[in-house]
Amino acid sequence: MKGTWPAVAFFALAALGPVVVRDAFLLDGLILILLWGAAAAAWNVAGGYAGQVSLGHAAFFGLGAYSAALLGTKWGLSPWIGLLVGAVLATAFGFVLGFLSNRLRGPYFVLATIAFSQVLLIVASRWRGFTSGSEGIPVPFRPGFWTLGITDKRVWVAIVLVLAVFLYLVELYLERSRRGYQLAAVREDEDAALSLGVPARRLKVAAIAASAALTAVAGALWAQYVGFVDPFYVFSVDLSIRFALAAILGGIGTPLGPFLGAALILTLETYLRARFGGIGAGLVGIYLIIYGTVLVVMMRFAPQGLVPWVGERLRRRPAAGPAS
Amino acid sequence: MHVVPQLLVSTILLGGIYALIAVGLTLIFGVMRVVNFAHGEFLMLGMYLAFWAFALLHLDPYVTLVVSLPLIFGFGWLSYRMVMRPVIHASHNVQVFTTVGLSIALQNVALVLWTGDSQFVRTGYYTVVVRLGSAVLNLAQLIAFAVAVLTTAALFAFLRWSYTGKVMRATAQDRAVASLMGIDTGRVFALTWAVGVTCVGVAGVLLAPIYPVYPTVGLQFVLIAYVAVVLGGLGDMAGALIASLIVAAVEVVGSYVIGTAWKEVLYLLLFIGILVIRPAGLFGQRGAEAIGT
Amino acid sequence: MRHVKWMMVVLGIVALALGVGAVQGQQLSGEYKIGVLEPLTGNLAVQGKLHLEGYEIMRDLINERFGGVMGKKLVFVTGDAVDPTVAASEATRLATREGVKIITGTFSSTLCGAASEAASRQNVIYWESSCVDPRLTRRGLKNVFRTEIDGTGFGWYNIEFIAKHLAHRLGKKPSELRVAYLSEDSSYGQSVTESARQRAKQEFGMQEVGLEYYTFTTNDLTPIILKLKNANPDILHHIARDQDAILFWRQAREQNFQVKAVVHAGATGYGAPGFGKAFGNDANGPFALLEPGPGFIIEGMRPEGQRIERAFREAVKAKTGSDVLAGGHQLAGGGLWILKLALDAAKTDDLDKFRAAVLAMDLPVGSAVNGWGVKFDETGQNSNARVQHYMLQWQNGSLVTVWPEEFTTNRAKWIPLGAWDQRK
Repeated sequence: MKGTWPAVAFFALAALGPVVVRDAFLLDGLILILLWGAAAAAWNVAGGYAGQVSLGHAAFFGLGAYSAALLGTKWGLSPWIGLLVGAVLATAFGFVLGFLSNRLRGPYFVLATIAFSQVLLIVASRWRGFTSGSEGIPVPFRPGFWTLGITDKRVWVAIVLVLAVFLYLVELYLERSRRGYQLAAVREDEDAALSLGVPARRLKVAAIAASAALTAVAGALWAQYVGFVDPFYVFSVDLSIRFALAAILGGIGTPLGPFLGAALILTLETYLRARFGGIGAGLVGIYLIIYGTVLVVMMRFAPQGLVPWVGERLRRRPAAGPAS
Repeated sequence: MHVVPQLLVSTILLGGIYALIAVGLTLIFGVMRVVNFAHGEFLMLGMYLAFWAFALLHLDPYVTLVVSLPLIFGFGWLSYRMVMRPVIHASHNVQVFTTVGLSIALQNVALVLWTGDSQFVRTGYYTVVVRLGSAVLNLAQLIAFAVAVLTTAALFAFLRWSYTGKVMRATAQDRAVASLMGIDTGRVFALTWAVGVTCVGVAGVLLAPIYPVYPTVGLQFVLIAYVAVVLGGLGDMAGALIASLIVAAVEVVGSYVIGTAWKEVLYLLLFIGILVIRPAGLFGQRGAEAIGT
Repeated sequence: MRHVKWMMVVLGIVALALGVGAVQGQQLSGEYKIGVLEPLTGNLAVQGKLHLEGYEIMRDLINERFGGVMGKKLVFVTGDAVDPTVAASEATRLATREGVKIITGTFSSTLCGAASEAASRQNVIYWESSCVDPRLTRRGLKNVFRTEIDGTGFGWYNIEFIAKHLAHRLGKKPSELRVAYLSEDSSYGQSVTESARQRAKQEFGMQEVGLEYYTFTTNDLTPIILKLKNANPDILHHIARDQDAILFWRQAREQNFQVKAVVHAGATGYGAPGFGKAFGNDANGPFALLEPGPGFIIEGMRPEGQRIERAFREAVKAKTGSDVLAGGHQLAGGGLWILKLALDAAKTDDLDKFRAAVLAMDLPVGSAVNGWGVKFDETGQNSNARVQHYMLQWQNGSLVTVWPEEFTTNRAKWIPLGAWDQRK
């Protein structure tokens, strides 16, 4: 398929990673790039392809994480089951959010998504009897594939790679299929699309619900990988921003964008943290100032994200003729 | 029963504080349709301004307020020119993330410069209270409330009756048409932003003798301010004031009756409820929320 | 013959001098590297930075005056644990790229879970000096150790103070005391409050007249204060973060909330210098459970404990100019000192041998920094009874040690607290 060679290259490189690299830290970085990329791609389904920008997707991530953790600690169920349960729950909540999206536009919807994720945060952090409240849940580590108790990071790369590729294919489907075109029409001009007979409302809700379910899957995997579920982290607005940011920086509404964005953010953060964040530095926070400034600058100069920006630069290069 | 007067008083005073922050926000959100994530950070900067003026120059916050008004306005204007103007015609996402970046940068500038410790402006009169029957009012909060009402009234009058105010309202309704009518929307946005920032910066100075300041103090207030703004209707000054009182009432009464642990859920559910039932807010134009831009 | 005898004496003295000189100026042969993981950016950076500073001060002290660690110079490589994901990544980095065999840190309960998990997967020792989540040491991980008491320990000590000291000074039996519990809602607040409630009820039969949790970023505590006034407690057990302690104290004064004692635990809120800075003398009255502060009788410690305690306090003063140690310094420094003792005893960082040496350590109270003793149990937790904690009280606008009375020259005042403007 034309235009997919960068993605093929990306995923091939990722797949090669565990073969070539032994360093657990580098593999950890790769796993996080793929995981955050997957979460960002899931966000992109709603935010990029359906045009429903949400800053509350951590709600779904947290649902996935908690489902895996709670089912594992309370009833000893496999996190794969927890993953499925989380996805189902997230889909249900996704329908709720979808309903809201049909009544609200733009900034109102954004605010609603934030409020939504905060409600879940408060419930999770207060319900001591069920979720251990603010103390969070240490995820039990039982060795084995069925229990997702895996020490070997190379296996983890394989697992998240499967999720990442699956999400890429979902995005590709939204890009190329008839449903996808309809969704694009809704995104560009909902009223016009409606007048053409596109079932706009249903499409939006479906997109959000799918986005929710996939985000929850990423959350469940994350919980097993990191091993500790803290409500103030998994439901945080910061995390929601991270998903959206990766997609937007990389290229909102492009299939590979979220993954590139995730790679960019992770590399930037790790570099800045190592450079400015440690060793008794009195200048705690410098790297975040840089981070915020980079964000503002990127929005100014490359608001469509990296992928289109690079694409444009590449296209412009030969144009040295009289037209320019 | 003897708690009712105090609960009432607390509601009004807390509502006043929220209103101070919400008026600037409803102006910006109403006219420019920008979800300004950095609004809380301007509040934080105002609080630090008052704190440092107090700690280093021994200036009372109310003196600082008068003296620094032009400074705060200038900072607002500058932040518009440097940060917001380039993206003013860009999509919502771009604007949202620009303000997110601004918010992160400002929070951490404060952290680097002034550390994360909570700093409190303890004026000589911080224990002075006004008694109203069995209720007790904190003096600084009372002043903040008074200023909130005055500011709301002033902005309301400004928007309703002054020429510039009408220009702003026209731009808010439809920026494309406003531009066609010869309005320099760029200047309108700059002014709106600067006035909005001034309002919240002033709020910060007034809050310094009430709450301790730390780099992320903005987060304490900004979401609640948004609830008040939406509840009151975008761009509606009086609506923001009344909505602030309502939110405060939900918080205070909810805290007392059900327990403080759940009060955030109450106003968040209220928020979602408003968005579902009447998104234009109590006083806004019906359907405004569905138009988007 | 006479000359030979004198020669022997001179030679003997020279040999002695050389020998002593050799021991004094003993060069540390080589370096030993450990990983230090603390939140250096983000919300927890303030305390994280203090902890790191404490680690660094103790490290330099150990290298300069106490023979390093296993005869080698102790060096650090630091990691920044911003959030749980990064904590895990950084722990992995420290273990794999930096090759450390021991990671210490990590201050917060939300971080130590993820960090210790990552550390155990890389088979390195995880030496926790601060986080209080009780479950850290209950996951059956053989590589996890904690020098500080856990959340249940804080609650335990608070109730110990209330029952054994406050009760009789208030002229009541513990079971006659009316206690109200107020707490900020994070992991820390919840774990301390719940363990305090449990011990108070089960062991002493204290009456619980109120329980309220709130988000520490709350904007108004007046409704809670009104409820507390209705409940009329003798003691307010209040676990606070920073800004809420300040808000509460101001509003409680405005509402003229009368209570006989306010008890807190930990280096935030009533246990932080910021509280005194905010209120000056008006801060007088509340108690905070902490490491030993001013008034602490160092002479009451065992000789080896006195040596390190004095040295540590001098070093902190030299670095920060302050006589008063921050809680973060004490926890980190205390934890690192015990790690040195453990490594010197084990002479290796091989997990099994190290673990055996750690579990074998048995030092009474007063042997180490902060007047602590050492006795780890099977789960890797240093026992509550050995990790002596102290109650400090705000007097004259600063915190002084008031309990246990045998360890300090100061005494608790204003029991009951009395009127708001009467505590001078």
